[in-house]
Amino acid sequence: MREISYRQALNEALNEELVRDQTVFIAGEDVAIYGGAYGVTADLWKKYGDERVKDTPISESAIVGVGLGAALTGMRPVVEIMYIDFIPLALEQINNQAAKIRYMFGGKCTVPLTIRTEGGAGRTLGAHHSQSLESWLIHIPGLKVVMPATPYDAKGLLKSSIRDNNPVVFIEHKMLYNSKGPVPEEEYLIPIGQADIKRQGRDVTVITYSRMVLFSLQAAATLEKEGVSVEVVDLRTLLPMDIDTIVASVRKTHRVLIVEEDCKTGGTGAEIGMLIMEHAFDELDAPVKRLAGADVPMPKSPVLEKLAIPDPERICQAIREVLQ
Amino acid sequence: MTHEIIMPKLGETMEEGYLISWKKNVGDKVQKGEVLFEVMSDKTNFEVEASESGYLRQILFQPSDQPIPVTTVIAYLTDTPEEPVEEKKEAVSARPEIPAPEPPTARNTEPAAPPAERIRISPRARKLALEKGVEISAITGSGPEGRIEEKDVLNYLQARQAATASYQVHPWSPIRKIAAERLSLSKKTIPHYYLQGSIVMDQIARLKEELKKAQKDYTYTDFLIFYCSRVIREFPLLNAALVDQEIRLYPSVNIGLAVALEDGLVVPVLKAVDTMSLEQIASQVKSLTARARNNQLKKEETEEARFVISNLGMYQVENFQPIINPPGVAIMGVGAITPRVMVSEQGSATAISLVMKISLSLDHRVIDGAYAGRFFFRLKTVLQQPGLLAV
Repeated sequence: MREISYRQALNEALNEELVRDQTVFIAGEDVAIYGGAYGVTADLWKKYGDERVKDTPISESAIVGVGLGAALTGMRPVVEIMYIDFIPLALEQINNQAAKIRYMFGGKCTVPLTIRTEGGAGRTLGAHHSQSLESWLIHIPGLKVVMPATPYDAKGLLKSSIRDNNPVVFIEHKMLYNSKGPVPEEEYLIPIGQADIKRQGRDVTVITYSRMVLFSLQAAATLEKEGVSVEVVDLRTLLPMDIDTIVASVRKTHRVLIVEEDCKTGGTGAEIGMLIMEHAFDELDAPVKRLAGADVPMPKSPVLEKLAIPDPERICQAIREVLQ
Repeated sequence: MTHEIIMPKLGETMEEGYLISWKKNVGDKVQKGEVLFEVMSDKTNFEVEASESGYLRQILFQPSDQPIPVTTVIAYLTDTPEEPVEEKKEAVSARPEIPAPEPPTARNTEPAAPPAERIRISPRARKLALEKGVEISAITGSGPEGRIEEKDVLNYLQARQAATASYQVHPWSPIRKIAAERLSLSKKTIPHYYLQGSIVMDQIARLKEELKKAQKDYTYTDFLIFYCSRVIREFPLLNAALVDQEIRLYPSVNIGLAVALEDGLVVPVLKAVDTMSLEQIASQVKSLTARARNNQLKKEETEEARFVISNLGMYQVENFQPIINPPGVAIMGVGAITPRVMVSEQGSATAISLVMKISLSLDHRVIDGAYAGRFFFRLKTVLQQPGLLAV
């Protein structure tokens, strides 16, 4: 199978959906002429023109608001928030409007809105451009939150997000755009809400998502040489969370490490850990452990930035502790 | 009449109380329902009323920081002021000297009973212990800070079973397990049948003696391998293998030799043995058996056995029916060579001969009885008259 980058996979997903459905359009800062801050919308403006690929003013609230309004009137917009760090500026539209409208109108309308954004550390962009704010978003009922780790998942899940009749926040990772992986030529979809076991193992389950999937797979390969068999569960979707896959894996290994790049306190890992307590307490042979980002504003220093988020070596160490 | 005044039990959990004060003095008249003394329990003060009217005659405990167990007699009341106090016997012995007040910290350092230590155990281990009816306090935990984990419960169960069983579990080595599987499969799937017969070994014995004199020391097994290999050439089905629904015939004869190990059995193979001299066979048998016993056989030296010889003669076993070693289709069990009284064909003359009993186990899917019978007859003929082989 051919290998393409995460960026190209996303671009293909957008392109295919623009072709497939005339109600799909793209809007965001620099998405048209410039092709997107990370190049995901490259060449789409040339192909589809101003009507379907729109540059917007620098106003996150307006970007999501426009998308929401268009969605309510029958369009299927894909709006881009350049950095997840700016999502708070649009939270009124996301939280109080987009996520609630379908409920508050008794299901009489749908909100087929996709909000693409990107997060994570790794480019030493400092505290305002390196955050992982997914845990804020999974606290909003009515939203779906998707965080793919591989080009294959990115393409299949973006297409599903665009076709979904509910608001989806689709969070990419800035360090994954250049990563490559197999993606079939033919069309496919990946359902929202399904985790994927990226590596089968017997001794311990690592539950993770986004860039940390790659780090966890590296750690698993290292530990294999020590005779430790690590199962890596890639959640892919954080909301709704695939508790069935999590529980099945816990039943198999009885030990869990949760790895997240986001800071630990009040994070997604806390939610995963409690779900395990609620659904698989009797299966645990050791306390669930979390390895997460430090509870600090992301440092600008490259040295400190590395220390502020998990890396493969510390994932190995944490797995050894879970197995102790 | 004397009435006992006791430390009351003022609540379900109250084990002892502290006497705070007496509200009456010795000699005072007391009405039923009047407050007689004050007690503290669990930081709550209670005024205790008299349950009978009378005179307070004797006070056994003064207010102090020492706890008094509930139901302890602390004073006596009598109906009349003059009558003698009738102390209950146990009350007398229980009456202590009124202790001097001790520092208030004293009672904090003396808990009634040490609180039971909570056992650290994983949920999974706890569930398993519950299912198996194991008392978790009996299990030693191996996890962090002594946490009991699943494996600890499993180890405990195993140890408990070993301790209570009336038998010992003998280790079942991997080599035995593999052999067990192969043997079971053979006996289950191959329709075995057996031929038995006696062979006079006088000539071979003589040959053996002659060669020994010439410093060539061969075993009966060496001779058997040699003559079998030659006779099998005439009966190629004995050297066949049944693989993938095919009866495969081979241009050269391979003979496997069953060698007993300390724990198990191995079958090293002499390949193209029909082209080897007796001397070559003897030296290879020696080398293969020595290495088999030291577990030094190479993988290929145990492969492609077809006809197999298993000899238990050295244990004075006369006869046994070995199990075929697939994909081979025949195996020969060799018994002891013993002197027997022989009757001539005419039924008259007798002689004493060395006789060996052999039995053949055969795969009926490949070899019929008559064919195997002819093989046996030819082998018997050749062994009884080795010179015939040249013919």
